[in-house]
Amino acid sequence: MTVQGNYPSPNITRIPLTVGVYYDEALKDFAYIEYTDNGKEEYRVLSGPSHMALFGSVLPAMFDRVVLLPDPAQAGTAGVDLVFTPAIEEFQLALPQKTRLDAYEVWVKYNMRLTAPDGGYIADWVLTAYGKTSLETMRSAESGINDATISALRDLGSNFALSFTDIPDVRDWLNSNQ
Amino acid sequence: MKAVFGLLFAMLASACTTTTIDEFRQGETGIESHESIVLLGRRQGSNYETRSEFVQCVGDRMNRGGDSINVIPEQEFVDAMFPWFEPRTAPMRSTDMQLLMDQPQIAAKIADYGIRYIVWLDGQTETSNRVGSISCTIGPGGGGCFGFGSWEDDSNFDARVWDVNTFVNVGTINADATGQSYLPAIVIPIPLIARVEANACSSLANQLKQFVYGN
Repeated sequence: MTVQGNYPSPNITRIPLTVGVYYDEALKDFAYIEYTDNGKEEYRVLSGPSHMALFGSVLPAMFDRVVLLPDPAQAGTAGVDLVFTPAIEEFQLALPQKTRLDAYEVWVKYNMRLTAPDGGYIADWVLTAYGKTSLETMRSAESGINDATISALRDLGSNFALSFTDIPDVRDWLNSNQ
Repeated sequence: MKAVFGLLFAMLASACTTTTIDEFRQGETGIESHESIVLLGRRQGSNYETRSEFVQCVGDRMNRGGDSINVIPEQEFVDAMFPWFEPRTAPMRSTDMQLLMDQPQIAAKIADYGIRYIVWLDGQTETSNRVGSISCTIGPGGGGCFGFGSWEDDSNFDARVWDVNTFVNVGTINADATGQSYLPAIVIPIPLIARVEANACSSLANQLKQFVYGN
């Protein structure tokens, strides 16, 4: 199944900078596979495109300009002030039939990296996101997994947008470069 | 046969709901025709979350009738205010609204919607005391069920009303509805369901309307 949903644009103050964003193949094609107790593939959750859709909605509200970079090496010629590279480190799915809880739950751990156009370090931090949706009589497992993942991605978007300028290394870099 | 119908009637009569409404007023209220309210479900807890269907039910009932109040749909409001009303970021106290209204974009959107009150709904419906069993069989000559099941539902919801103009919690209304449901099966199962959450919804909506109008 491919996660499908829409993400609203955040209501926050824009940072007057141009950010380049690079999605590596691991993020673009990210899929989580849930196995049955006897090791068979039960669900394959493709969420890479949904992650890109989320950042596609959040980043233009956070920065004056967003440039999609096909290769981080092109950052120097793309006229960007900084390069953002998100990565998914861990994805966990909890199904009601296994947890005995009345909810589908998704937990994701991310590594967020900011570098200068020349590749120099700016910041590197971990963000976690959590989403759940309740078990309902007429809801399919696919729908429950999809909604819990969307909820986790919204949590990521809200946490990322609101905490961005509070990350110590980001704050220091912004103070010295704005 | 008379005894069977008598038993069914007795259970039907008893599969009803008892609803108690408590109101605690802490401030004056009132609403103009051009103003609106928004109902939001609390979802920050790990053990339960207020169902969006219940929030929509209360909103739909407040939006009905001659004394209807304009209610902004929950998801529309949460999306418009993103990321400030997500489960992890939503204001927990009415005074937090003051900080939120310092954000020009948020203040402008609240004004655009004409929102006078934010109502936080917090609660759930729990099922307990499940007893009985029903067994069903099917064979070449037909099938049928026999047995009896019963359970109790308890809906408990709080509605906290925040005045957006004064950033004050102007009151809290609690709706507590309980009811016993029965499922006798004599060849076919006959569900006699107590509409506990629906009753909590309608009672809470009616009381909220009166509260917001200042009655």
